[in-house]
Amino acid sequence: MEQAIEVNNLVKSYGKIEAVKGISFNVQTGEIFGLIGPNGAGKTTSLRIISTLLQVTSGSVKVFGCDVSKKAPEIRKMISYLPEEAGAYKNLSGKAYLEFIAGFYSDNTMIKKGMEIAQLGERIKDKVSTYSKGMTRKLLVARALMMSPKLAILDEPTSGLDVVNSKGIREIIKDFVKSGTTILLSSHNMLEIEFLCDRIALINNGMIVETGTPQELKAKHNVNNIEEVFLKAIV
Amino acid sequence: MKHFYNIVKKEVAELVTKQLIISLVFMVLFFVSMGKITKSVEEGSKEIRISILNLDVNPYLQNILSIANKQGIQIDFVESKDVKSAIKEAREQKSNILLVLPDGFSTKVGKMEKVEIEIYSIMNGLSMQEAISSKVIESIIETLNNSITTSFIQKEMPDKKPEDILNPIHTKNFVILKEKTIPGDAGVLSALVMSQSMMIPLVIMMVIMYTGMLVMTSMGTEKENKTLETLLTLPVKREYIIAGKMVGSAVVGFLMTVIYMVGFKYYMSPFTSSPEMSTSLKDLGLFITPFGYVLLGISLFLAIIAALSMCIILGVFAQDTKSAMTMTYPIMLVVFIPFFLSMFKDIETLPLSLRILVYAIPFTHPMIASKSLIFHDYRMVLFGIAYMIVFVVIAMWIAVRLFNTDKVLTAKFSVKWKK
Ligand SMILES: Nc1ncnc2c1ncn2[C@@H]1O[C@H](COP(=O)(O)OP(=O)(O)OP(=O)(O)O)[C@@H](O)[C@H]1O
Ligand SMILES: [Mg+2]
Repeated sequence: MEQAIEVNNLVKSYGKIEAVKGISFNVQTGEIFGLIGPNGAGKTTSLRIISTLLQVTSGSVKVFGCDVSKKAPEIRKMISYLPEEAGAYKNLSGKAYLEFIAGFYSDNTMIKKGMEIAQLGERIKDKVSTYSKGMTRKLLVARALMMSPKLAILDEPTSGLDVVNSKGIREIIKDFVKSGTTILLSSHNMLEIEFLCDRIALINNGMIVETGTPQELKAKHNVNNIEEVFLKAIV
Repeated sequence: MKHFYNIVKKEVAELVTKQLIISLVFMVLFFVSMGKITKSVEEGSKEIRISILNLDVNPYLQNILSIANKQGIQIDFVESKDVKSAIKEAREQKSNILLVLPDGFSTKVGKMEKVEIEIYSIMNGLSMQEAISSKVIESIIETLNNSITTSFIQKEMPDKKPEDILNPIHTKNFVILKEKTIPGDAGVLSALVMSQSMMIPLVIMMVIMYTGMLVMTSMGTEKENKTLETLLTLPVKREYIIAGKMVGSAVVGFLMTVIYMVGFKYYMSPFTSSPEMSTSLKDLGLFITPFGYVLLGISLFLAIIAALSMCIILGVFAQDTKSAMTMTYPIMLVVFIPFFLSMFKDIETLPLSLRILVYAIPFTHPMIASKSLIFHDYRMVLFGIAYMIVFVVIAMWIAVRLFNTDKVLTAKFSVKWKK
């Protein structure tokens, strides 16, 4: 199977701070890959590099065979990135925001799809500035998925969402994979990771500690859930 | 192109917020009401009514008064024969002024003997409107004096022209400006040059400030809401993002300036110069030709682009709206310097080092352009345009470079010094 993402010895420094210290992992096409780790481990940094937002300090990253440092415009056509804690344009309505994003793609049916995913009902016509945190998040998740990208990079997709809405989003993500989208996500929610991910990588202090399927990792550490794997692997 | 338009549309939608509209409406209302007030003061002064208590028996005075009447002054005679009741009557006639012509007025005037008349100004308050009417009195008396003298001369010296006796000296004015000698009055000339060279830099300063502030706000909010991260992962060229932001801000900034200027013009309208003055200046050759206006337009356009690209570069270092606002201050300062200089000083009279510094500011060029263009001096304007083209190309190159690296997301501007 074609590799969706190949990360090789990736290093990223912000000035003196070395946020990512030589990580390597692969993501297969059509799988859901989870990046988990404590705060400040380097998850967001890695995801931003794969999304062509940050430049690599050393090492290489390829997305569907395209090098991020050389073919960023090609990669941007295939991916969509959901930043953590991001907002939308405050003076636009939710619908206008989706229309704005859709304006960069040729497919107009995605607006309808986005509105379905966002599940904001009539509120989609209100200004984003009137939305709650969770409503904005749902709009952004919808924005990231509506164009059915080849690869969706989701940084903590369900953060700030209530149980019902998180579950809804998780199901949508699972459905998307069936239609051929590859997903790379980060999360602090171990239940979510276990429910969603085909494979996970445990990242700590800028380095990958473990990679494998949830089952493999649980068996290896002889524990019942991923939370314990996380605690054991990191300490 | 579709992508570019999409970004411009979004920028405009984001920038035209309720607060912006409210503040614009408020400003326009302010200007319009200010204009209304000054206008009513002006009109009030035109509506001068004079009551006259005539204690003189000789009807000769009618001739003189008819002259004043021709000046558009409403004259009413009172019936009363004493001052006290005349004032009461004048009040009823809604007059501002009561003139009391003493007995023997016409006789004395006819013989050109000194005569005293009493003037009562009827004030209803101490407002500006009342103050202006005292100037009117002076002009009425002057008119009266003039007509008395004129009719005396006409009678006594029929072979002379009264104007020649009243004003034996006539003047013919010339102004020498640099190498040019032109017929005209220095006062009129500098008044026009002043009004021209003040309005144009004022408009330029406003456009540059608004567009600059808007593009900084746009960068600041994109960073604060982290929408920039999303925008930069979309399949759209960085150049379009930058250009879209610039055009969006320029459109809104231009609109704001136009709205302000319309309001301001309304406010200024009672004070603006008379049409005769500008035609006389046209005769002097002191006007901006159509070609000059084209140059001025190009110069202004380039200055706006220069301001926008500078602001975009600064905006890269902003972290949120607040720091973006802080960063507009240096730009404002750089706009203010040429604005004040162009108003109060001729830049060419500055010492060389300062002059180079001022010319290095791109915004200087459109501001001084209007003055040069009035004198049909195109060298400095063309130089300014050439300089600004170079400036804009370099600034845009830097902006695109910054947007193509991750500096746009990671660069930080900090006022704290490292220990
Ligand atoms: N713009 C930046 N400038 C300097 N250092 C940064 C910057 N962004 C992140 N870092 C540093 O890089 C390291 C990794 O940060 P990163 O945001 O990737 O962590 P994370 O795994 O996403 O954490 P969290 O779970 O809290 O989101 C941290 O030490 C952080 O301080
Ligand atoms: Mg993070």
